[in-house]
Amino acid sequence: MTVHAIEATAISKKFGNLLALSDVNFSVADGETFGFLGPNGAGKTTTIRILTGITAPTAGTATIFGHDIVRETIAARRQMGIVHEISNVYDDLSAWHNILFASELYNVPRSAGERRGKELLELFGLWERKDDRVKVFSKGMKRRLTLAMGLVNDPRLLFLDEPTSGLDVQSNLIIRDVIRELTGQGVTVFLTTHNIEEANLICDRVAIINRGQIAAIDSPERLKKTIQSVQSVEVAFDPSSPKLLEHLRELPLVSEVRKEGDKFRLITEDPSGVIENVTTYAREHHTRIISMTTIGPSLEDVFIRLTGLMIRVKGVKAID
Amino acid sequence: MTDLNESCGQLCRELKAAWAIAKKDIRIYYLKPNIIVSGMLFPLFMFLAFAIGRDAPPTMLVPGLIAITILFSASSIEPVSIPIERRTKTFDRLLSAPVSLHSVVLGESMSGFLYSTGIALVPLSAGIILFSTPIVQPLALIGGVLLTSFCFATMGTLFAAYPTESPGDIMSMLNLVRLPLIFVSGVFIPVNALPQIGQIAVLFSPLTYGNDLIRAGFEGTTHFNPLMDVLAICVFILLFQVAANHLYRKFNE
Repeated sequence: MTVHAIEATAISKKFGNLLALSDVNFSVADGETFGFLGPNGAGKTTTIRILTGITAPTAGTATIFGHDIVRETIAARRQMGIVHEISNVYDDLSAWHNILFASELYNVPRSAGERRGKELLELFGLWERKDDRVKVFSKGMKRRLTLAMGLVNDPRLLFLDEPTSGLDVQSNLIIRDVIRELTGQGVTVFLTTHNIEEANLICDRVAIINRGQIAAIDSPERLKKTIQSVQSVEVAFDPSSPKLLEHLRELPLVSEVRKEGDKFRLITEDPSGVIENVTTYAREHHTRIISMTTIGPSLEDVFIRLTGLMIRVKGVKAID
Repeated sequence: MTDLNESCGQLCRELKAAWAIAKKDIRIYYLKPNIIVSGMLFPLFMFLAFAIGRDAPPTMLVPGLIAITILFSASSIEPVSIPIERRTKTFDRLLSAPVSLHSVVLGESMSGFLYSTGIALVPLSAGIILFSTPIVQPLALIGGVLLTSFCFATMGTLFAAYPTESPGDIMSMLNLVRLPLIFVSGVFIPVNALPQIGQIAVLFSPLTYGNDLIRAGFEGTTHFNPLMDVLAICVFILLFQVAANHLYRKFNE
């Protein structure tokens, strides 16, 4: 029988009368990189807190490599590393003392903890600053240290809660490289993120959770195929003007127009028809088309469709 | 045999983790200004308020000063450290580590215990050096200091279970208990001199038994049987530990 890295069965969680999670089922295979996407308040953090044994489910079970997280909490936790959403490092300790503390907490022998700590601080570009108190670190450096602390016990399963949220480019690149390296080594990664493109690039499969329920689970490419109707044409004009947005919305076959930087994205079920209409429009209005590209549905489109949300210029509007 | 080895291994891992938590607290919190104020200065001023103008011998005053120093210093670390760690989310790091909640509670209490034991040496040394106060039963004194320190450190951890991110919230609740304890524990007013209701109340205060043992170290006599003192403090430690474990679990839900 295959033992999954994570097996969540019919998990529900209630806080008073609020049902935060309802009958959540999914499994993550050993060595898989699994993305967990959802809008704020959808239940992502509650799911992670249950899977890491911080809080117990109201109903249902979860196992980590076969260990029940409620009944065999410690055995299950020994398999995992956790990188929380907030960089929860000790500001008054040095980077070195932070990492040694994490290794002691996970019962890594002293010499192995020091060796692993040095490797990780070097890997994350923090070795030169190991004796500095963390309070003087930048946000990116703290994030990298948090990730290093999560890896000090060489976990088989790594929980990453928004690992690259709001980080500088350098920290982002380092963290993504490390995640790729870990997945290459066979470490199972459970990733929650708001960055849908990141999930698209890194994850073998993603689950989309909305209002405490799983809306879809599949590989990013398969999920995109489920909404082939959301095609689009991306076009840039010279000269560009704000009035173009209104004019393009009135074109036949166009269901929606988004201004994205200096380009316009026209959502349609018939890209070739829209290309013809845009070309005609440009000729009649004496404007030049700089570029025009057809684009298939993105994972973000899937996310928007399944969570029923669409970000407008002002506020949030439901599309379903 | 394998089960026994596994159990011993797990116990060893739990104790190491508890010690790691205590060391972390020692490095971070011992010199925080609010801990110095509530752990050192507060008991000193409380003592002076009672001692100045009273014609009491040092053998009467020094044990009282040691007892209230322990009460305030031992219970001051966790009510500051745990809310701060809730705010910075570092407490989640402890709650998600591969150790039991008992070890987290124990580790937190150990830092208060060590802090208080160290601080208690100050009035003890002052008593010996400045007032030439004799120690007649060293074992009772050492036992009293150690047990009372651990008892109030665990009490501090218990109060810190209240799910707030503000140390002030917990300190306020804690002072509602700590301040009355001084008056119903025989610290400055002997148990025999208390009114009837006071003599009943002292039985429910852990400070009574700690103070009794510490006082025995200087005076050689105790109000209760010393074994009863030890047993009573151990019962309070157990109660605080179990209650703390229960509350951390409950509030974490």
